[in-house]
Amino acid sequence: MSVVLEVLEELWSMFVGDRRLTLLLLAVVAVAAAAAYLAAAHMLAAGLLLAGALAVLADSVFHAARKAGR
Amino acid sequence: MIDLATAAPAVGAAFVASAVEVVEAFTIVLAVAALRGWRPALGGALAALGVLALAVAALGPLLNLIPLRGLQVVIGILLLLFGLGWLRKAVLRAAGLMALHDEDAIYAKEKSRLDADVRASRAADGIAALVAFKAVLLEGLEVVFIVMAVGAGRGLMIPAALGALGAFLAVMALGLAIHKPLASVPENTLKFAVGVMLSAFGVFWTSEGIGAPWPGGDFALFGLAGVFLVWALALVALVRPRLAEARP
Repeated sequence: MSVVLEVLEELWSMFVGDRRLTLLLLAVVAVAAAAAYLAAAHMLAAGLLLAGALAVLADSVFHAARKAGR
Repeated sequence: MIDLATAAPAVGAAFVASAVEVVEAFTIVLAVAALRGWRPALGGALAALGVLALAVAALGPLLNLIPLRGLQVVIGILLLLFGLGWLRKAVLRAAGLMALHDEDAIYAKEKSRLDADVRASRAADGIAALVAFKAVLLEGLEVVFIVMAVGAGRGLMIPAALGALGAFLAVMALGLAIHKPLASVPENTLKFAVGVMLSAFGVFWTSEGIGAPWPGGDFALFGLAGVFLVWALALVALVRPRLAEARP
């Protein structure tokens, strides 16, 4: 049973290890998808997705740095 | 016929990412073998490989039932979560905010933990085999996900699986030849590279899935990887001095 629990924990931490990063990234994908579907702005949507992913990474790194500096 | 420009990023990403995971599993299997011999170590490892093979055989065909665009969005988001997570840790390690992964220390820790467990129990070989089983199963799950994620979006499962198999054989050959933990593998550099590649794949698949493909087709992957690499290196350079100021 503990093996199954450990596998489930591992799967969870693979994708949701950092809740803040996960939520921000899902928000970015939602905004990019809305741009693609509602405005048919395909290049804008692709650009938004890339810029958003880079911003989420920066936020996550600086957040960790601030916590470590405290 | 799959052309090289399409297959190379998938094979490369699967190879490097799998190599990192196989090194981690190998360290624990080696600790088990050093303590209780190769029989329980290999028994546990082979049982885990069997479970993984069954899982792939059962779940793999289901991927064909999912519409391609839906699959690209789901896999793209999972790849982005996984890739950005790895890249974040690699940036923090490179900036000195997180301890580097030390295979020698992990080997010593696993060995002493297992030693204590084994002394406390009569079923010593069974416990040793279970430790090897869990290590291979957990690291193997990540390999399976990576192969499916980089391969499923464009029918590249076989090239990606070959990349992972190549990594497995390379690490095993190296590990069995030197017969000790692969501590000299530049693990954070590899994780940095994997984070960059998986994040690039994540943006690429998600964009295609939401109907916003990148110009240049598959070649865009190289450009996206370059952007992530430069950005991550810039973050390391930005965070390092801040940390030095915060810790006089």
